[in-house]
Amino acid sequence: MVGEIENNDELLNVENLTVRFPVKRGGLFGGKSYLYAVDDISFSIKRGETLAIVGESGSGKTTAALAVARLVKAFKGKVQLGEFDFLNLQDEELRKARAKVQFIFQDPYASLNPRLRAEAIVREPLDSLEAGLPSGRQGRVDQLFKSVGLRPEQQRLFPHQFSGGQRQRIGIARALSTQPELIICDEPVSALDVAVQAQILNLLRRLQKEMDLTYLFISHDLGVVQHMCDSVAVMYMGKIVEHADRKSLFNNPLHPYTSALLSAVPSVDKKRREATKRILIPGDPPDPIDPPKGCRFANRCPVAQKICNEKEPPLQSVGVDHKVACHLVDERAKSPLA
Amino acid sequence: MMPLLKIDNLRIELTTRDGIAPVIDDLSLELGAGETLSFVGESGCGKSMTALGIMGLLPEKVGRIASGTVMFNGEDLAQASDARLREIRGNDISMIFQEPMTSLNPVFTIGEQIAEVLRRHQNLSNRAAWSKATELLDAVRIPNPKARVNDYPHQMSGGQRQRVMIAIALACEPKILIADEPTTALDVTVQAQIFDLLRDLGKQTGTATILITHDMGAVAEMAERMIVMYAGRKAEDGPVEQIIDHPRHPYTKGLISCVPHLMASLSDDRPELVEVSGIVPSLKSFGRDECLFASRCDRADDKCRSQRPPEMGFANNQNSACWHAGDV
Repeated sequence: MVGEIENNDELLNVENLTVRFPVKRGGLFGGKSYLYAVDDISFSIKRGETLAIVGESGSGKTTAALAVARLVKAFKGKVQLGEFDFLNLQDEELRKARAKVQFIFQDPYASLNPRLRAEAIVREPLDSLEAGLPSGRQGRVDQLFKSVGLRPEQQRLFPHQFSGGQRQRIGIARALSTQPELIICDEPVSALDVAVQAQILNLLRRLQKEMDLTYLFISHDLGVVQHMCDSVAVMYMGKIVEHADRKSLFNNPLHPYTSALLSAVPSVDKKRREATKRILIPGDPPDPIDPPKGCRFANRCPVAQKICNEKEPPLQSVGVDHKVACHLVDERAKSPLA
Repeated sequence: MMPLLKIDNLRIELTTRDGIAPVIDDLSLELGAGETLSFVGESGCGKSMTALGIMGLLPEKVGRIASGTVMFNGEDLAQASDARLREIRGNDISMIFQEPMTSLNPVFTIGEQIAEVLRRHQNLSNRAAWSKATELLDAVRIPNPKARVNDYPHQMSGGQRQRVMIAIALACEPKILIADEPTTALDVTVQAQIFDLLRDLGKQTGTATILITHDMGAVAEMAERMIVMYAGRKAEDGPVEQIIDHPRHPYTKGLISCVPHLMASLSDDRPELVEVSGIVPSLKSFGRDECLFASRCDRADDKCRSQRPPEMGFANNQNSACWHAGDV
């Protein structure tokens, strides 16, 4: 599905990325087997845009993001970041490339070193990745504090003296310090109170516009995703089941799992509540160590056919910027649930 | 008709290093049989404290009910003895907590944990309690209940554990179920299943529910009336749909519009989210004679900063504690 042609305005192109973890099966002589947390996924993000990966816990969205940033080892696949073949870089080259990818973590309480002052936290990546001249680094820190909405005198404080939202601002300043092109935001607001969430989401969008940033945005909150992203990839058990631009995905979800996910979100909009029929998906996902042969969603899918249990559906295009992995969807792009 | 639960002028105080702080300040509410009432607000606004106050579970030596009454079935729970409260808890009023991972005991099977409640409160024999436990697991839609009753909590998924918590809470067919953020730790599809379950079981047993949450969508979906709490005080209360359509308190308005909601159809424009600047004030400033929301409110004037606003009533029993409620 992934084109051979290099698209110039693509910043990130991930091909056939696979991450597996060894698991011990029970018993003394139980052999080693593997859990494929991310199983052969491909996606790309255009420069200056936001791709959201959504899915429930255990679907592999965080693992995929970590593998893109080389924070877990990929078993297979290719990550092309601008001119870098990111997974095959070594030493000095890798260090240079790392400055281009930064991470914003979920928990602002756990992701900041409690013994460092705020300014040192933001400065650390500059020193360790040797970004810019040492003499200019303090100026850079000052500027970063300003752009994330913190006061200069707060640089001297320690993390525990900040509120959750302010800590997340420090995390964002740290991620911005090396002037990255790609920022991976792993559930950046799910630990924050709703009112503070809005502040951080607005900040992220403003920074994106000002600095021409590209975001890989991981979230389980579909309301937030709808607000932040330009395109969405939906993951289920390590696979991408649907990948589409924002409007197609939310207005015309094709994969039954996507439909079920959207229908489960409670809404304040009375019109939407009346229009949506809850699509029930009973039970739990199958054992990830021993996934079924056919479609991984088949055992919970309300419209599953015989073929779904026998053959794994490939992710294929069904229209402009809309890909779906379901046997029951063809080029007419009609939801099988309709 | 007499309401099932009637709270009048409840004041709960916590002793902190900086002195005594009223975490609940003059709260009144009524809950009818079979009704669903929702508490909404950010963390630190006193939602959970109210629930713990009703249950008599305030942190010992630190928190206490300073004044006010909690009338349940003609009995004032604020004055009830510990022994009496133990009888009521789990029997007439029960509670589900936020963390299904940590609220079950890891060293007992789930059957044992459900049966314990039945033996304790309904004096069932061991055998009868176990067979009732199996029935309850079936009622909360856990597949193959006969085998699963012997499972330990770690053998179940998060959603299943929350179902077990619901089974325990509903074992004695309580009159009131307090659900404190019951789905915050769960995925959306599981959340939808749990909500369906709570709604169905509520209908079958006629249990009244108090749902504590920060998710306006969940409120809209589950509750008939809601109370918006801010800094230990009631900011606004009334029928859910009316408040969502026309909030009368700037805080409620902020809570609704600061969250990006999924709408019936999605368009290209994405306006900036409305920000409620700042954060909830610290316990030190609780109880002052002023509007505690004033520092975050763009309508605030001198009156807001010098006098606590009284409740102003609107149609259908909607009340807002704001000096500017009329023109919000």
